[in-house]
Amino acid sequence: MRVPIITEEEREKAFAFPKPQEVVEKQKLPVRYHVEDFDVDDRPRRFLEAFAAILKHTNYRLAMEHYVRVSAKCSRCTTNCQIYLATGDEKDIPCKRSELLLSVYRRHFTVSGILRGRLTGDPGLTDEQIQEMAKSFWDCTACRRCYFECPMGIDHGLVTHLGRYILSEIGIAPRALVVSTREQLIGATGNTSAIPVPALLDTLEFLSEDMEEEKGIDIPFPIDQEGAEYLFVPAVSDFLMEADTLMGNAAVFRATGDSWTIGTGYFDGINYGLFYSDHVLEKALQKIKAEAERLKVKKILIGECGHASRSAKFFYPTFCGGKNALPVMNIMEYTHQMLKEGRLKLDPNVVTEKVTYHDPCNISRPGWIVNQPREILKAFCKNYVEMTPSGRNNICCGGGGGTVSIDEIRPYRTTVGGRAKAEQIRATGAKYCVAPCANCKKQLRELMEDNNIDCEIVGLHDLLYKAIIFDEVKKPEKVTEKEEK
Amino acid sequence: MEAWIQFGQGPLFRFCFVIMLLGLLRIFILTVIGMVEALNRNPDKIVPYKELIKQTIAWLFPIKRLWTKRPIYGAVSFLFHIGLILVPLFYATHVLLWKNSVGFAWPSIPKSMADNLTLIVILAGITLFLMRVFYRPGRALSRKQDYVWPLLLVIPFITGYVCANAAVSPTFYQLMMLIHVLSADLIMVMIPFTKIAHCMLLPLSQLVTGISWKFPPGAGDRVIETLGYEDRPTWVEKPRLSRPLESVVKEEEVPAQ
Repeated sequence: MRVPIITEEEREKAFAFPKPQEVVEKQKLPVRYHVEDFDVDDRPRRFLEAFAAILKHTNYRLAMEHYVRVSAKCSRCTTNCQIYLATGDEKDIPCKRSELLLSVYRRHFTVSGILRGRLTGDPGLTDEQIQEMAKSFWDCTACRRCYFECPMGIDHGLVTHLGRYILSEIGIAPRALVVSTREQLIGATGNTSAIPVPALLDTLEFLSEDMEEEKGIDIPFPIDQEGAEYLFVPAVSDFLMEADTLMGNAAVFRATGDSWTIGTGYFDGINYGLFYSDHVLEKALQKIKAEAERLKVKKILIGECGHASRSAKFFYPTFCGGKNALPVMNIMEYTHQMLKEGRLKLDPNVVTEKVTYHDPCNISRPGWIVNQPREILKAFCKNYVEMTPSGRNNICCGGGGGTVSIDEIRPYRTTVGGRAKAEQIRATGAKYCVAPCANCKKQLRELMEDNNIDCEIVGLHDLLYKAIIFDEVKKPEKVTEKEEK
Repeated sequence: MEAWIQFGQGPLFRFCFVIMLLGLLRIFILTVIGMVEALNRNPDKIVPYKELIKQTIAWLFPIKRLWTKRPIYGAVSFLFHIGLILVPLFYATHVLLWKNSVGFAWPSIPKSMADNLTLIVILAGITLFLMRVFYRPGRALSRKQDYVWPLLLVIPFITGYVCANAAVSPTFYQLMMLIHVLSADLIMVMIPFTKIAHCMLLPLSQLVTGISWKFPPGAGDRVIETLGYEDRPTWVEKPRLSRPLESVVKEEEVPAQ
């Protein structure tokens, strides 16, 4: 799909620099996101040390070595990157972005590079290069769409991931992410949104009451139930912002009767490690493992959240026990399965408006969750339309890779990052856009607002909640009679 | 000049061919070893092999894929590759040379087909070069070798075509033949050390990417330990504001492959 390049005016807005100049000078880092103070001296050396240590202990050397050998610079990825299509800036070509890090690897970690450096007297990595990387790697939304167009199989998302990891080890990472991670890993509340357990319980009780009023049936949120089938771990922000989604989740379980639980020990699926640090990724997943062991559950069920689902599905086995690790599912997989088994009944006459579906990159790109939500939606939405392109080849919402949590770059996200997506949604003319991902939802809402598009962004279970039918109740009055008996 | 041609077709050819073969085998084996090591470091062996192999085949024979984006570039590059692979290996005279050098032979393609393919390669190579020069993103990405390769690859095809088809004076013929032989030798010897190594590594690409997404457990802890920050992971407050005097890792300590 073609997107017109941003105008000069929009460019100015998107790349505006709200940070105080003295901070930029003190940190020697002209990036738009805020960074906590860190050591600025001797940065190139420390970057190389971190790079060397990471190469030594991880599997990245395999990819780096391979990518520097095969990269053919064919420029095919230019056709698939929504950032490049929006800015038209050469530095936004995925391959060019990766080259920032690949050139450092080539110069400092390959024999020919080291030899050439010695012979030509090239001093190697400079501070300017680090600043460029700090800018560039956080301009990318790590959606991995470019990977599909690379004939050489280079995953620029992986290179960005590694680049951010190295930068974080020398102190360069968005403050928004680091602060949340701090609260999650060593804070008092133990979750990224800093929700204390009493507040969580209050919220859930309130939601239960709400649902009883609306549906005329008691729909509980089971808390700390030992031996339950599923440990439910949504993105923790759902408890604050996505009440409708949670209600939908609970309603599905009420209808199917399966046992599930939310653990008060740990209830946060968010894992910013996937965006900037493998170290964080591992530690956050181990918190889920500890809670699963405490409550002796059989499966881990992640809520409607792209990155939480991907980090658990693809990295839980790695970090939490290999073959013996508990199976990980996404709530949409569960709902889909229940629908197939006929344990879930939906009323096709409730949602009559035009509905479209946005694929969150993290779950659709690997081909994991593409058809399930569509089948669920088609089961009760009469007027369902697809975006083009969609499915595995969807376009990123523009807030991927953790950038949505960085509030100070909102103008960038809504003018550059989400430009293609906004046009896509506008073209469908849908009333509801289903985006089963906490990050996508936040980004898309801001995108609709900033681009004046009249489309409501909802989660899949928000809509499903409207249409779900419970066998026990035909009319609310009957329940009260039952209860009286 | 005849002696030089003989040298280029004989000992030098064999030398270059062996370098190419060993070089390609080396990087292929190193990559396979790297993949096995990466898998061994990880308790989670769930790699989507089926999907990765499907992707590999789709990119090795990109008959459906190339036309979806930048179709002209895709078509030209496709034809270029076909000619590049077929003519050096299956042109009748080459097959004879192979027989004399490596001792065995295989069927050859008809001369008219080889001629047409040669012309296609020449045109395609020059087109690819021009597209690189005049396509702005292509120019932004290109390194020196990216400009040199399409032109270098075309040289043996032009000279070979002249020798096989044009009625030229014997001296000119010999000159053309010499350039033909020497440029081909040069190309062979350079293949393993430049981006053309993808001729050997492409079948492994998707697998490498798939396996690289497997992160070894405990690596994060070992990394900060190596860096001397074991008590200061990235998420603690002011993690690295005062750094240790002696850095622990030096660049040379990590062996380059």
